[in-house]
Amino acid sequence: MLLFACVLVALAVVVTPALLIQPFKPQTENHLTISHALRRVSPLMTIALLAVVGTLMFKLWRGARLWSRALMILAFALTTLGSWFARQNHFEWMFNPLTKVSYAAIGEAAFVDDADLVLAVERNGEAAAYPIRQLAYHHLVHDTVGRVPIVVTY
Amino acid sequence: MVNGRALRFHLYGINNQNFIMRDEETGSWWQQVSGEAILGPLKGTKLKPVPQDEIAFALWKREQPGGRVLRPDPRVVSLYAKADWETRMRKVPVATRTFDKRLDARELVVGVTLNGRSKAYPMRLLDPASPLLDVVGGVPIVIVTAEDKRSVRAFSRRLDDGKVIELFGRADVVLDSASGSQWDFSGVAVRGPWAGRRLEKVAILRDYWFDWRTYNPQTAIYSAGL
Repeated sequence: MLLFACVLVALAVVVTPALLIQPFKPQTENHLTISHALRRVSPLMTIALLAVVGTLMFKLWRGARLWSRALMILAFALTTLGSWFARQNHFEWMFNPLTKVSYAAIGEAAFVDDADLVLAVERNGEAAAYPIRQLAYHHLVHDTVGRVPIVVTY
Repeated sequence: MVNGRALRFHLYGINNQNFIMRDEETGSWWQQVSGEAILGPLKGTKLKPVPQDEIAFALWKREQPGGRVLRPDPRVVSLYAKADWETRMRKVPVATRTFDKRLDARELVVGVTLNGRSKAYPMRLLDPASPLLDVVGGVPIVIVTAEDKRSVRAFSRRLDDGKVIELFGRADVVLDSASGSQWDFSGVAVRGPWAGRRLEKVAILRDYWFDWRTYNPQTAIYSAGL
């Protein structure tokens, strides 16, 4: 049935990139190209599929049995889930971005051990240190050092 | 900044254990280690690298007493890497399909690329050899480790007047053979006839062998005694 085809496509479109781009699996160029394309179209595509599913439900509802109606509701729920997931960045769930960037003077920086490594940037007389233990989690931090807007990555 | 516009990035994925970020402005995907956009409207664009050091906090404090330190995010501080993360990380499996077995996949190396030529220096060989003299891509360089045996820097051995110098000594006392001046870890001559002169820093990358090799397939490897 067209209804179930829609649900399957909606789910496939959002689940495929998540499966291809997993941290401990290898990626090929194809994996990346496919994932990029899917992630680009999935927000619109899933909404379109949701509209199709909704319309089909509306048409089929009156003549349908109870179990059939239950399945239709499930189909709608799954397609909605797909549309929602298409708009999420699940990597940022795993590694929250650092949204509030603030600093301490050296005297107040007891949260860094002497032996810890830092990523140090100096520009136009301004010096900043980004502790690796924090960067290894956040992965990237936006900042401006010496009037130069930078992104610090690890 | 790209084409006059400041981009804003988000962690978005991973590519053979090196992360991918996406910019809000164009939706392009960028590879972290190379700073290059690999997919999307800005494909092929490279972000301009900013000179940086990966050094021990104690050393940085001495060099930059007026510097600022990024504060941790209190909501996720318990998720930050533990102090021994480097030891733990060595046991994490490597997913890349093919790699060069000349070195162990998780061997820590210091990578240098100059004029299109790359070379990897295993970290364990650097401290005994420091100051290590070499030539990469036609550029005479010196790689030095600090007394903490973790902080590493590289400099060009060609002075501003074109003269190429040789350096020798141990961690805290490094001299050049031409003038006998003493040079410190920030590349400045602190004592002797050339006091005040500076060596130009050369960009290095501390990386695992498997990742360095993935992005520098033609890389040479330093072996002691050669």
